[in-house]
Amino acid sequence: MTAWLLRRLAAAFAIVFTVVTLCFIAIHLAPGTPFLPEEGRTINPEAVARLRREYGLDRPLPQQYVRYLAALARGNLGESFSQRRPVADAIASALPNTVVLAGAALGIDFLLGIAIGAYQAARARRRSDAALTSASLFVHSLPIFWLGLVLLLVFGQWLHWFPVGGVTDPVMYDSLSLLGKLSDRLRHLALPALTLGIVGAAGTARFQRAALLEALSADYVRTARAKGLPESAVLLRHALRDALLPVITLLGLALPFLLTGAVLVETVFAWPGLGKLATDAIAARDYPLVLATTLLASVAVVMGSLVADLLTALADPRVRLVA
Amino acid sequence: MMATLTLALAVSACSRRGGCRDEYCGTLVFAAVGSVTTLLPPLSGASLERDVFDQILLRLADFRAGASTIGDSGFVPQLARSWEWTDPLTITFHLDPRARWHDGPPVTAADVQFTFESYTDTALGAGESKALSRIASVTAADSLTAVFRFREAYPEAFFDAAFHMRILPAHLLRDVPRNAWQTAAFGRAPIGNGPYRLVRWVPNEIMELAADSMFFLGRPHLRRLIFRFASDLNVGVTQVVAGDADAIEVLVAPPNIERAQAADHLALYPYAGTTYTFMRFNLRANGDALRPHPLFGDPDVRRALVLATDRERMVQSATAGRAKVPPGPMPQQWSWLWVPELTPPPFDTAAAGRLLTARGWRDSNGDGIRDRAGRRLSFHVAVPTTSALRKQYARLLQEQFRAVGVELVIDEMDNAALSDRQNAGSFDATLESFQTDPSPIASVPGIWGTGGASNFGHYANAAVDRSMRAAARASSQAEARTAWVTAFQIMAQDAPAILLYALDNVAAVNTRVTGVEIRPDSWLALVRNWRIPPDRLNERDRVGR
Repeated sequence: MTAWLLRRLAAAFAIVFTVVTLCFIAIHLAPGTPFLPEEGRTINPEAVARLRREYGLDRPLPQQYVRYLAALARGNLGESFSQRRPVADAIASALPNTVVLAGAALGIDFLLGIAIGAYQAARARRRSDAALTSASLFVHSLPIFWLGLVLLLVFGQWLHWFPVGGVTDPVMYDSLSLLGKLSDRLRHLALPALTLGIVGAAGTARFQRAALLEALSADYVRTARAKGLPESAVLLRHALRDALLPVITLLGLALPFLLTGAVLVETVFAWPGLGKLATDAIAARDYPLVLATTLLASVAVVMGSLVADLLTALADPRVRLVA
Repeated sequence: MMATLTLALAVSACSRRGGCRDEYCGTLVFAAVGSVTTLLPPLSGASLERDVFDQILLRLADFRAGASTIGDSGFVPQLARSWEWTDPLTITFHLDPRARWHDGPPVTAADVQFTFESYTDTALGAGESKALSRIASVTAADSLTAVFRFREAYPEAFFDAAFHMRILPAHLLRDVPRNAWQTAAFGRAPIGNGPYRLVRWVPNEIMELAADSMFFLGRPHLRRLIFRFASDLNVGVTQVVAGDADAIEVLVAPPNIERAQAADHLALYPYAGTTYTFMRFNLRANGDALRPHPLFGDPDVRRALVLATDRERMVQSATAGRAKVPPGPMPQQWSWLWVPELTPPPFDTAAAGRLLTARGWRDSNGDGIRDRAGRRLSFHVAVPTTSALRKQYARLLQEQFRAVGVELVIDEMDNAALSDRQNAGSFDATLESFQTDPSPIASVPGIWGTGGASNFGHYANAAVDRSMRAAARASSQAEARTAWVTAFQIMAQDAPAILLYALDNVAAVNTRVTGVEIRPDSWLALVRNWRIPPDRLNERDRVGR
């Protein structure tokens, strides 16, 4: 187990290192430079040259890369070009928002997905199963940003049930009681989390239905039924437990989906998280911030995969982690 | 989930009731499209930064809407209570003794002197340094008297002295090395002298300003101003239409205007736009500034494309008539330049075709595109992905050019990539919009003058340069107008670009706000006079921090 873990961690390090290196090369080779004025405005070229000198962008690329790695090894992510503050500060203010959004979306994704999948499997090949299959396929094929815009329009602009953007109400939040603040945060979280969660739930439901149908045809389920257990007990206590194993693997794979989805959802809902930070940084050619968000995303993805493998091993005694 | 949300909806009313009910309550939330990098004026240049500076860091004198930038009659006192010309090369500003920094000390002439030294320090590279280059010195005669001496007498001397600098607090910045200003704490938490002070700033999320009740020019009526940042115009418009924000600077596209018009709680405020949009031709070869462009090196090809463009119809269809076709490179805010002597070239496809045929461009193989000596009459236009309107225009132009046998290939790219191409000269044509100052002198030569910093198309005409210099020397607006008209008429003949549209700006503001007056060059410059009458205050206005 320890050897397996060490080997996976070494592989994870290599993957993250490769991703960061490729990103470093790509962002520097991409057309466009930092410190440009907003479109339609002019800027003093001397000021741009001075900024490039100050941030070391006038040095050869290999030298910049070595300096970046050296700083990274010391835990220094650099200074944001577009925010004129340490990258670590920018990440620290955005990360909690993305964690909350991704966490809520993950909750919706799996709770709803497993429930629908289990319901469909229990009623396999009936009308309700067919209807839910069509519905989940439809939802799963929706582009996330489009769904976000529709929810925004219907529940934000037309019905006024939920705010259309941000994490909290900028006017009222400070004056609210503790419970009021929690409620305000939940209201702001609702639409972006639903957008991200519903699309994922549709996929999870399809997966869960297939896994449960396979489990329901297993010998031990037939044995449980033969023992006279009620169908709900057979489903929930025997088949579902077994059918959850592949879904745990899906949990690790859901992380990249959530991170890429967050980029779109955070832009639509002006949610100040890592996704919005990354897109703004790319538009501004804010190299240190782009690299830091890429680093964080790649770490999250490889760690998610690692945790999923560990959870699978813990949940299924048949799985052995071999180095 | 639904139960939690229902509970959340129910509990959301559990706020502590605020008590503010008088004339000086009111909170306005602005949907602010863009972001703020730093709040240190010599290092800032974005529109949103300007909006914030208008509230926290004042100038010596402010510009009146629609006034002339020539002489000083178009200005009203701000930090300076009065001024006088001691001689043609010297202005003496008398500071208002009531003006104070938000941390207590008075605003002094030493601050003015320090500000000038900062803006002109090459270590900072302030964008305004060029406009200030004709000021020889600024000295403090006494604590409330600042003396400006100019290298030469010129009509916009006062404009340069008063408009380009936001006075900075010397007592807070003098000890900060200039090479450390980029990341100076002041840039994140500035201490100002204006009607509002900064109380909260979460980058890319929110900025809150609170009214200074002791402001020397009169207490602002709105107690709080909140800028809610959005990186996309549509997000900002949705916030205003849904009632999550109270105001937005511009709606830009007709669909946004229709959405705002349909919202009962919004009032629309049209005002003169500060931008104009054009298709710029690169007169030098794509990526090689030493050779003429194979198509646009020929003025007749450029003229033919101008004639082939039905700009009036495009303005009607793409902007629903909320723009004008500019007869020169000018926005609507320069209303004094929109004179009958300047008229846009006609739409005449027959004349365009004749010109191209005369230059040897014929459709020899019947594919609908003209060619000459084996080269097709085809070129690329770079268009920013962020502008829906310009993308629409690119497609309309593509159709219109095709009608005269010219192929237009559209390259959409982000602003950074587009800017890279402009600077490298690696383009055939671009669709650009330019933000302008109140003065054409600060805006036109840089884009269309020989060697101008933003003259990416390498347009050069000595007669145009001469006329622009004459405009800069003009002693009256009428004299300046004559010079500009001459310059623009020559440019119309040379056709270095197709001038497409100059937008009307339309702002949307919540109907509970009264006294809304918008100055075209800076829409929030007069916000301290906006108010919400006590009988229109809502819960959000009354709540205190």
